[in-house]
Amino acid sequence: MSHVERVEEILTLITKSNLNAYITVDPVGAREQAERADSGELDGKLAGVPVAVKDAISTKGLRTTCASRMLENYVPVYDAFVVKRLREEGAIILGKTNMDEFSMGTSTETSYFGSCRNPWDISRVPGGSSGGSAAALASFEADMALGSDTGGSIRCPASFCGIVGLKPTYGRVSRFGLISYGNSLEQIGPMARTVQECALLFEVLAGYDPRDNTCSDIPVPSYSKQLDRELNGLKIGIPKEFFGEGMDPDVERAVWDSISIFENMGVSYEEIDLPHLKYSLSAYYVQAMCEASSNLARFCGIIYGYRVQKDHDWHTTFSQNRSIGFGKEVKRRILLGTYALSAGYYDKYYIKALAARSLIRNDFQRAFKHVDAMVAPTMPYVAFRIGEKVDDPLSLYLVDINTVPINIANVPSLSVPCGFKNGLPIGMQIIGDLFDESLLFNIAYQFEQCTNFNKYSKAQA
Amino acid sequence: MITKSHVLHVASLACLELSEDDLQEFTVQFNSILSYFDELSEITERLEKDEVQFNNLRADEVLPSLSQEEALSNAPRTEDGYFKGPRIL
Repeated sequence: MSHVERVEEILTLITKSNLNAYITVDPVGAREQAERADSGELDGKLAGVPVAVKDAISTKGLRTTCASRMLENYVPVYDAFVVKRLREEGAIILGKTNMDEFSMGTSTETSYFGSCRNPWDISRVPGGSSGGSAAALASFEADMALGSDTGGSIRCPASFCGIVGLKPTYGRVSRFGLISYGNSLEQIGPMARTVQECALLFEVLAGYDPRDNTCSDIPVPSYSKQLDRELNGLKIGIPKEFFGEGMDPDVERAVWDSISIFENMGVSYEEIDLPHLKYSLSAYYVQAMCEASSNLARFCGIIYGYRVQKDHDWHTTFSQNRSIGFGKEVKRRILLGTYALSAGYYDKYYIKALAARSLIRNDFQRAFKHVDAMVAPTMPYVAFRIGEKVDDPLSLYLVDINTVPINIANVPSLSVPCGFKNGLPIGMQIIGDLFDESLLFNIAYQFEQCTNFNKYSKAQA
Repeated sequence: MITKSHVLHVASLACLELSEDDLQEFTVQFNSILSYFDELSEITERLEKDEVQFNNLRADEVLPSLSQEEALSNAPRTEDGYFKGPRIL
């Protein structure tokens, strides 16, 4: 199939789709780039590959809304670093995928443009916040996708939609051009149907960018060429805190079955303790909300964004723009963050959250002296129904129990399919030491090769 | 205990106007969410220093930036090449 044919096939799929995976599609740009690919004008690692981009990532000349009314008409005048890298490597950018508003959510239900649906069961959520990217991949409405992960936003939808997604080490990928939510926690990362494709995309995204001062200049290995190493002799840790209360026993069983598969490959395992993990959710939400209250202060409706027709004084105008431009979950987090940073509460919440973060990070660093990687369920259960949790924000925050510790500890984690429950995918995360993504792809690839859980890897073969 | 007046005060700090329904709902929810966060008070360890992961600063050089036209292209209101804000007086 030519690149033009593949792009036409995808554009038709998107038009007929009932998933609401995309907020904005760029048929003109995608067709032009596909023609260039067919005429041999493009070279690079992703020449002619159709890629979907989460709508939190800036694309020059292509509307970028962050799934918010605030940015409904915002057209970036520059590309994010990762988007520039996609173009340099010859990728075809299909459009911008649906997400939770400003990346704040676990279900892609808070989007101003309507909920996204799970291709495995359209009455269920695709996970979030990068739900549109995962749903597009699972329904072949894209061949690779970008997401961002502040507290699980790549791994949760990867788990719920049966695909592969990586939250990289903090600092491995430039955040330049990513619309910030919790900037000390989040990373842009690759999402794909197979481990090999995910590794290839990550090779393109990773690397130094002087415009992000938290971006590392450690050289980028050829992740996609280091997948064949045997796993014999590796030791994996099983952190028992990830198998806590509220976990679906079927999910737990699927992960333990996977651990047996690793044993058959000569991998040993031991159960380990990460004693401060119990503070992860509180530490994560306090810090993310505090950062959100600061990061989202820029949206006042004067330089860009939603603006009411009639002006009043500055404070009233700003307040009206923000009240209409932001959805409820965004307001909730800004308010909680503002409260936690306000006089008298800063020491009680923010400073304690930073202390907890430091303790959790030390737990992981200690553990990685004894084990090469860790394995745990990505989510406590399979995809839940649309509307099931929208009325109780705290219960929705608790769903992130297994994903937020990774962001707090800055370490990488790769979610891969590891089983099914009632026809819905179960995800397992493989967690590594700082900058050890190469080992995670290697482990995941070997697992994918000798199991049948990744339906897409077989469908494509 | 968080009251409506606490939430209103914070909303004013954050430049947000709340409907009566949102105010009512947020007040109830903030009490349950903040009491969940109270577990952090068990932590007695002091943070030694404000730990940042890396701070990989580039050289302080002047580089090309956005043109005036680009910078103004998303502004809801402009006048004579400037952003136009509400009146001050």
